[in-house]
This record gives sequence, structure tokens and C-alpha cells, in this order.
Amino acid sequence: MADLVKLALKVAVVASAIVLGDIRTKAADLVIAMPNWSSGQATANILKVSLKKEFGLDADVVEMGTMIAFAGLDSGQVDIHPEVWLPNLDTLVKKYVTDAATVAISPIGVPAWQGICANRTAADKYGFKDISDLSDPKKTEALDTDGDGKGEMWIGAETWSSTTIERIRANSYGYAKNLSLLEMPEDVGMAAVDAAEAADRPMVFACYSPHVVFKLHDIVRLTEPPYDAAKWKIVLPTEDPLWLSKSNAAVGWDTAHYHIAYATSLRKKHPEVVRFLEHVDFKPEEAIDMSYALQVERQPPYAYAEQWVARNEARVEGWAKP
Amino acid sequence: MTSLSRTRFGKGEQAKGHAASLAVVLALGLVFSTAASLAAGTQVYDPKTRQWTDYNRTKAYQYYKLHKQVPESFRPQVVKFRTAEQPGTIIIDGNQHFLYLVQPGQQAIRYGIGVGRDGFGWAGIVKVGRTAEWPTWTPPAEMVARDPKARPWANGMPGGPDNPLGARALYLYEGGHDTIYRIHGTPEPWTIGLDVSSGCIRMNNGDIIDLHSRIKVGAKVIVLMQGAALYKGV
Repeated sequence: MADLVKLALKVAVVASAIVLGDIRTKAADLVIAMPNWSSGQATANILKVSLKKEFGLDADVVEMGTMIAFAGLDSGQVDIHPEVWLPNLDTLVKKYVTDAATVAISPIGVPAWQGICANRTAADKYGFKDISDLSDPKKTEALDTDGDGKGEMWIGAETWSSTTIERIRANSYGYAKNLSLLEMPEDVGMAAVDAAEAADRPMVFACYSPHVVFKLHDIVRLTEPPYDAAKWKIVLPTEDPLWLSKSNAAVGWDTAHYHIAYATSLRKKHPEVVRFLEHVDFKPEEAIDMSYALQVERQPPYAYAEQWVARNEARVEGWAKP
Repeated sequence: MTSLSRTRFGKGEQAKGHAASLAVVLALGLVFSTAASLAAGTQVYDPKTRQWTDYNRTKAYQYYKLHKQVPESFRPQVVKFRTAEQPGTIIIDGNQHFLYLVQPGQQAIRYGIGVGRDGFGWAGIVKVGRTAEWPTWTPPAEMVARDPKARPWANGMPGGPDNPLGARALYLYEGGHDTIYRIHGTPEPWTIGLDVSSGCIRMNNGDIIDLHSRIKVGAKVIVLMQGAALYKGV
């Protein structure tokens, strides 16, 4: 899941020359890019099973990074990408969807959000319910894990641009004064949530959904003022060394969505597939279930997809209807 | 037994630990709880004075001398542990003095640990690069210079019951290289639950033998966030 966030939340996308080998097997009609995070893996395989069932088409599911997938969509070597996060990948969307018009984005997106979460112990026993609670040093003292009297809060991985923005938000709201903001790989952050739950200890952390943590544990999202573009002033460290003092964002994140993307060449080659893809309507809860099945229950993606399609037969047929 | 309800264990565990905790009350007038445990040191609850007090080296030694084992909290036990990590993964919570070995079925074996005086000293993801039975201990050069007792072992102390590394050592590697940190046994079992070592994770010899028998070289080890000053960007 760490890579999901890296992809979904990172803004920095560095263009590079990408050379695609021959990734399509001779028998395959289509190539579906498969990300290395669990909901994307499940979705890629659900599409594979559904397209075979509805149209008799064979699809190769090939694991690849987003940059390579977009290059493949652009050249026609890849036909489908199951999860493209917006606005996070706006740069790629502008290049391939808007300017080159070689890639299209399915209109139905899965809503996603990010913010600050607390485990049930932190919410109920220690009163962390609203973002303003983080500015109360008496409350945040309960989050101390190193004996310095000051609480700690995981704000994301060092490499995510969202982590920078969480630091800006902490500074803008004011809780950066009484909380130590920790940057660590996501596995460390999530294992800390697991351990806090096992020991009934309070934990507050940066979070996003869909995410498997919401099925693993009883997690509460802190309330905060809604996103307001006029109050969202983000200057990134790459733009200005004084980024922190020049930024201000004492409001919640804007809602994000992720969509299926497909090569526009598919419109001529398989218009029925395009129609199908534009009707796929996964729900956020389903994405969490997918992640849980693959990541926690360790179900093989293809076997899970077969069961998912069998369980959702009427819905899949509905997507395929002209 | 109000204090027991303040412990952080589930109801089943409370019941299991009740007898042992009661014995502690009778013996030392203390009920062990890690609910108030801080990285600066573990705390215990004294029902007579109704105060949380530090569980320091002296008290830990007294307890061990009396009971020949560490408090219930720090003994190996299977606990509920919901995680996306694979069975076989080790998760170290230095703040609470626990090491979890993830098991199938959303459970973990939880062991008590002793950690560094200033916490573990770092956090992150490493692997068990290699293991050793009754490992040789070679004191760092600065310890040899500082501590006359370490001097005879400047070239290495053979493994054995007095060796500071105890019965087994798991050598933690990052990117294929030894980090110099280890999870190891100890000839001082009463130090479990305390912040006493110079950075490594120590476990009772019986526990490290058990852990060693259950893990594979290459096992993922997650050291949780403790010691905030060591984190980037703080």
C-alpha cells in the first residue's frame, strides 16, 4: 500500500525516457497494466476476468509502474490502467489525455480522501475528535512515546509530497508546536497503529481512504474545516527554500478520485470494451475489501477476481450492456 | 483491583494475568501495568499509595529475585494482533517494551524486551541478516577504553552464560549490510522491561531461543517510532 500512496499522493512526477519491450503475449487481445498495490492488483484482475466473461477477450495483466503504463497507453502497447489518481497525476493526464489525446479517463471515479485519523482509544479515551484537539498540549501529551512530554504523530513517508503538505497543515493549524511530526515508511506507521491497537494505546496519524487500516482497526477521522481553495496556499520545498513560512493550509484536503484509464486506440479496436470501462463503478468500501483480501488475507489476485466477478455477476453484466 | 482495569490488556489476558498480578501485589505491593509506561522508563501502580511509580532497575531486580521470572506482562504470550504484515514479521515497540512476532490468524507472540537507555536509537525497517547461537561478544573500542571490565575481552568474549549477548543473537541488516544492532539474549533477565542497554534489543535467554527457533533469516523487522529526535524532519 505504501506504493499506492507514493503514487497517489506524490505530486512530483519526473518525466523520463521509457522503453517498452514487447509486453503482450501473442494470444492476448488486451494488456492491462497492474500497479503494485493491492486494490489496483484486484481491479486489474477483475477487469481481466470480466472482459473474458462478457466479451471473450483474453487480457494479459502485466505489473508495471505508472510512468511505464502511461507510456504504454500512449504507444498502444498497454490498453488499460485500473487506477489513475486525480488530481495527483494531473501532470500525466495533461500530457497524455489533454495534449496527446492518446489516453482517456473513464468518467466514473472512486472518491478518495485524506486527513488525520485517530484510533478508537485516542478518540474515546483521550478526546481526539477534531483537528483542533491536536493543538491542546495537555491532550497531545498522551501521544508521547519517547518520554519527552511531547506527543508524536506520523505524517507520512519521507518521499511523499503529501507529507510536506501535512507539515504545512500542522504548522498552519498550530499543532506542530506541541507534536513531533514523524516521517517514516508507511509500513512503520501502520505497524505502529497495529501495536497501539494491540496495547490499547492512543495513536493519531495521517491517513487516507480507501485503505486497509479501516478494515483492520476501528479508526476515526478527525473533523476539520472543509477544503477551501482560497485558504489552500502550498509552496513546495522544490519551489522555495522558505516554503514552510510561505505556505498556509488550515483547512482539510480537497477530495480526490481515481479512475480507470484506457488507450484511445481502444475506441476503434474494441468499442464494447470502452463502453464497459466507462460504466465500471467501484465503491470506496469495495476498494478497502479488495485491499484487505489481498494484503491481509493474502488471497491470490486472480482467484480473488474470479470470486468477485461470480459474486457480482449481474453488476458486471450491467457494465457490459450497450 | 482497580489498577488491573488500567492495564492495557484485553479481558482474557487480564483474567490470565490476574493470579500473577495478585502475587506481585502481595509480594511487592505493586501491580504491573504498562498503561502508564513511558519511554523514559516503565511505571508500575502501587495500590497502597495509589501512585504510579517508576519500575526501575532495583525494583525489577527485587521482583526477579523473589519470583525467578519477570512480571506477567513481559513473559511470552499469544495476543491478538491485527496487521497487514506477514506472519514471521517482527515488530518492536520499544516504548512499551514489547517485541511481537506476527503469527497467522491475526495473532502475535509477544515477548518482553529491554531496550536502550535512550530508546532503541533508531526506527525503520530492517531484516534478520544472520543469526548465531551463543555468540561471541566484542566490546566496542570506546567501551574497552572506558571500562576496565571490558578490556580483557577486547578481542572477543566467547559465548556462554556470562556473555552479554546471551544465548542467541539476531543480526539486523539493512540493504545487505550489518546495522550493528542486534536482538540478543542477556545474562541479566531482570532488565527486561527497562531502558538499560546501549541500543540493542535484549530478551531473556529462554525467549530469544524461542524467537530464534521461530524466525527465518531474511525476516522483516519493523522498529517502531520511538525516540523522536532521531526522526528526520522533527
